Amino acid sequence: MTPTAGLSLEQAPPWSVPLRFFLTAPWFLVLAALLILWQGPAVFASRWLPATLALTHLLTLGFMAQVMLGALLQMLPVVVGVVVARPRWVAALIHIPLTVGTLVLALAFLTSSPAGFRIAFFLLGLAFTIALAAFHLALWRAPVISGTVIAMRCALVALLVTVGLGLWLGGFFGWGWPISVVTVTDLHAIWGLIGWTVLLVAGVAYQVVPMFQMTPAYPPQFVRFFALLMMLLLAGWSLCLWLEWAGGIRLFALGLATSIAVFAASTLYLLTQRRRKIGDPTLLYWRISMGSLLVAVALWVSTRIMPTWAQAPQIELLLGILLIMGFAVTVINGMLYKIVPFLAWFHLQAALLGRAKVPNMKQLLPDVKAQRQGWTYLAALWLLLAAVLVPEVFTYPAGIALGVTGGWLGVNMVQVALIYRRLLRTVSVAG
Amino acid sequence: MSAPPDILLDGRELEPPGPMELVLAALDDLQPGQRIRFLIHRQPYPLYDILRRHHYHYETTTLSSGDFEILISRP
Repeated sequence: MTPTAGLSLEQAPPWSVPLRFFLTAPWFLVLAALLILWQGPAVFASRWLPATLALTHLLTLGFMAQVMLGALLQMLPVVVGVVVARPRWVAALIHIPLTVGTLVLALAFLTSSPAGFRIAFFLLGLAFTIALAAFHLALWRAPVISGTVIAMRCALVALLVTVGLGLWLGGFFGWGWPISVVTVTDLHAIWGLIGWTVLLVAGVAYQVVPMFQMTPAYPPQFVRFFALLMMLLLAGWSLCLWLEWAGGIRLFALGLATSIAVFAASTLYLLTQRRRKIGDPTLLYWRISMGSLLVAVALWVSTRIMPTWAQAPQIELLLGILLIMGFAVTVINGMLYKIVPFLAWFHLQAALLGRAKVPNMKQLLPDVKAQRQGWTYLAALWLLLAAVLVPEVFTYPAGIALGVTGGWLGVNMVQVALIYRRLLRTVSVAG
Repeated sequence: MSAPPDILLDGRELEPPGPMELVLAALDDLQPGQRIRFLIHRQPYPLYDILRRHHYHYETTTLSSGDFEILISRP
């Protein structure tokens, strides 16, 4: 059998393609922190406040989507064996409007500016249209239909729904389109966090948890059916929400909560089965992330049992912070520590093979740097949760911790990029 | 005169990028006519990329265990 049979073996995308996303994203955590410090305790009063919505989108679009889209551009060729055509152009046409669009959207929320929402509508619409077109074209041609491909396809369908609903909400704020804002916002948030984010993380976890943590594989039946089941449950839940059928909403939501808990618990269990006994910094991130997901599910279930509890605005904010910061931002932060040094190492190997010695991954980014930033991250997460409960005491410490950890992550990423550049330059001068 | 024996490398129990480091280190010692026989539990797409860029020949076979055997020889 030749290696090309059934597999697309074009070159992996250039280093700059994913890197521009990874170097930008951490600074959105810093912006989110500045917003918290500027707005003060009021930002934790309700999820519906303009400043809180701006904060949410700095985290979800500015940090999460930024890294997730950049990583997909990188991962599709490597993990799935498919190529995104013209990667530099696609990367620029996603990265620039996404970055500017996120800033404009946050400003539009803060200033209640219809013109701002209209500009954000077009910029974010452009970024996501290009991303969705490029990724769907690539993924639906995948030569091998693995659990990861299924989960990524489902995640991208969920992203399409999330973006569509988001643009619809943009139409409400920008042009006054008549829509039922509360329902559409709930749909938008759940499809974004539970559909797109959980399913993409699951698809990536099937690959990277066994690979980097040296654990057994996820059970094959789970890998095959988890994403499809989640999509069915999401669709059922959405339909019931739209039709205002309370019994159906409860049933499908319970199904979603159970499935998510099974995914989080399976991952935590696999992590106890590691063959390699020395821990690495990303192990802690996976544990915090999956732990947060489980706590979020437990908290949500408790609100179903005690309906009066569900009325408190703090519950929704706690769920939001657990899902966005505790689950998603944590696992993304951890994965950046695997992806960025690996890519730098890989591209240096490819360029310098036989001409110069390439430092190993630990020399490009020592574990101790990742660990120290990890502790500030953990502090930021705890302080944000505490700030929801006692805003007057914890808001400012939470803002400071988030700013420190975001900036630290950004500096760690920039340092890898600088070592990379210096090495290439030294060798090209010497050669 | 027969070709030197294959260099056997087993990357199946190593954390990435350990397996790729093994292969790249062995490429330096590879004699004309000699091959690297590399065992790995997944398709090493990034390795293929580097091998192609440096014009090495390689051939992949799926083993009955689900692992992959990659035979690499000099350009």
